[in-house]
Amino acid sequence: MKNRFAAITLLMLFATILIIYYNMHSIHPTRVRISTTTSLYATGLLDYIAVKFRELYPDVEIQFIPVGSSAALRYAERGDVCAVFVHEPNFEKKYLDMGVIEEQKIFAFNYFIIVGPREDPANISMAIDVVDAFRRIYSAERESTYFISRGDGSGTHTREIYIWKLAGISPTDRPWYKECGCGMDQALIIANELKGYTLSDVGTYMVLKIRGRIPNIEALYNSSTDIVLLNIYSGYLAKGCRGIERRYAELFLNFIYSNPDIVDNFGVNEYGVRLFYSARHFDGDIRDLWSKLAGIG
Amino acid sequence: MKAMAEIIDTILRSIMVSGVATLMASLWSIPLAYLFVFRNRGSVFIEAVIETLVGIPTVLLGLLLYILFSSSGLLGFLGLLYTPQAIIIGESILVTPLIISISYRSIRGIAHLYYEFALSIGANRVQRMRLIVSQSLPGVVAACITGFSRAIGELGIAMMIGGNIKGYTRVMTTAIALEVAKGNFEEAIILGIVLLLITIAISIAIKLISRVYVA
Repeated sequence: MKNRFAAITLLMLFATILIIYYNMHSIHPTRVRISTTTSLYATGLLDYIAVKFRELYPDVEIQFIPVGSSAALRYAERGDVCAVFVHEPNFEKKYLDMGVIEEQKIFAFNYFIIVGPREDPANISMAIDVVDAFRRIYSAERESTYFISRGDGSGTHTREIYIWKLAGISPTDRPWYKECGCGMDQALIIANELKGYTLSDVGTYMVLKIRGRIPNIEALYNSSTDIVLLNIYSGYLAKGCRGIERRYAELFLNFIYSNPDIVDNFGVNEYGVRLFYSARHFDGDIRDLWSKLAGIG
Repeated sequence: MKAMAEIIDTILRSIMVSGVATLMASLWSIPLAYLFVFRNRGSVFIEAVIETLVGIPTVLLGLLLYILFSSSGLLGFLGLLYTPQAIIIGESILVTPLIISISYRSIRGIAHLYYEFALSIGANRVQRMRLIVSQSLPGVVAACITGFSRAIGELGIAMMIGGNIKGYTRVMTTAIALEVAKGNFEEAIILGIVLLLITIAISIAIKLISRVYVA
C-alpha cells in the first residue's frame, strides 16, 4: 500500500516536471495577436506571410485569430489584439472614427464574384453588369434555384445588400432567398448543395474549388472594372496595444505593405490564378475607392 | 418588433427540434438501457464504448452526417441536408449514448437494490421487472432531461447539417454563434441567458410532471 502511494506520487511529480519543462521551452519572447477576417486566413495567405516574417524576426510569434470582420474589430476595441486585418470599409470607418484603430494600411485587394449552378438558370453570365446580374437572379423562373445570403453582417453580406439596393429590389421576403448566417466557406458549400447562387470573394471560392468541395457551382459573373465588386483588405493597429508588441505589429504591417511580391505571388502555383493583388502600386486610387465604399452600406 | 418575433420563432424551433430529438432518442435508448441491465452481457465493453461516445465532439458528428446527407453522399437522395429534420436526426444520435449511459446506471442501482428483496417476497419474473421499472423511472426521466439539455445546447450539428438558415434551421445556439461572429457580444449573452432559463424551466416542469405520475 505504502509502495503504491509512493509510486503514484513519483509518477505525478515526474509528469509535473515534464509539463513545466515543456512550457518553458514553448514560450516565445514576444507574441503578437492579430484578429483577422476568415477569408484572409482560410486561404493561407497570412500564415504564408508570417513564415516569411519569422525569417527576419525569429523572436516574434505572430498569432492569428480568424473571426468575422466585425468580431475582429470588436476584439480590437476590447484590447485583446494588437492589430486587425479586415475588409469591411464602412465598419472600419466607424471604428476609425471611434478611435479604436489607427494607421490604416491598405495592403491587398481582389474581387467579389457571383457563383451559381453550372446550368445557370438565371443566365447571369450574360449580364451586362453586376446589378443586371442580381436582377436576373431576382426575376428568374424558379423551381429550385436559391440565393444564399451570408446574413452575418460581414463585409460580403454588406456588399450584397448594397447591390440589391442598387438594383432597387428587396429579395429578403422571397422563399428562394436563404440567409445562412455563416462564413463564406459554409455559404459556398450550402450553395453547392442547394445549387444556388451566392456572392463570394474570389479567394475563398478558388480554395474550395481547387479542393473539389464545390463541384456543382461555378464562377458565373466577374468584373474587374465594377467598383461595387472591389474587395479591399486593410490592416490596422489597435490603439490599446502598446510597447514592444505594438512595435512588432507595426513592423509586420509594414512588412506586408512593402513586399508586394509576397501578396501577388501567393497561391499562383497552387491555384493557377492570383488570389490577391497587392495594393501598393495603386495607392492613391485605391484609397479613393475605399472612401467611396466606406460611405455605403 | 420584427426582431422579437424572430427570436421567439428561434426559441420555439430550438425547443421543438431538441424536444423531438430527445423523445426519439429515448424511444430506443431507454429500452436498450433496460435490456443491458436485464441481460447483463458484455457489459464492460458496451459500457466503455457508450461512455466514450457520450463525449463525441458535436462537430465531428455533424461532419459525418454532412458527408452522409450531402447530395454526393450515401443518403443524399433523401434531400435532408439543411432541414430541421436533419438536425433532429443528428441530435437524436448525439444524445443516445448519454441517455443510455445515465439511465443504465440508475436502473442497475435500482436492480441491485430491489432484486433480492423482490425474490424474498416471492415475486415472479414479471413482477420483479415491473418493480424495478417503476422504481427506476425518476432516474430515467433525469437521463432524458440531461439529453434534452445536451441537444438544445449543442452547436456543431445544428451548424453543419442545419446550416443556420434564417427562419428555417436557425436555433438558439447557431443564433448565438452568429451574434458572436457579428461582434454583437451583448445580444449573444442575452440569447445565452434565455437559452439557459428555458432549459431550466423545462427541466423543472418535466420533473414536476413526472413526480405526479410516479407518486
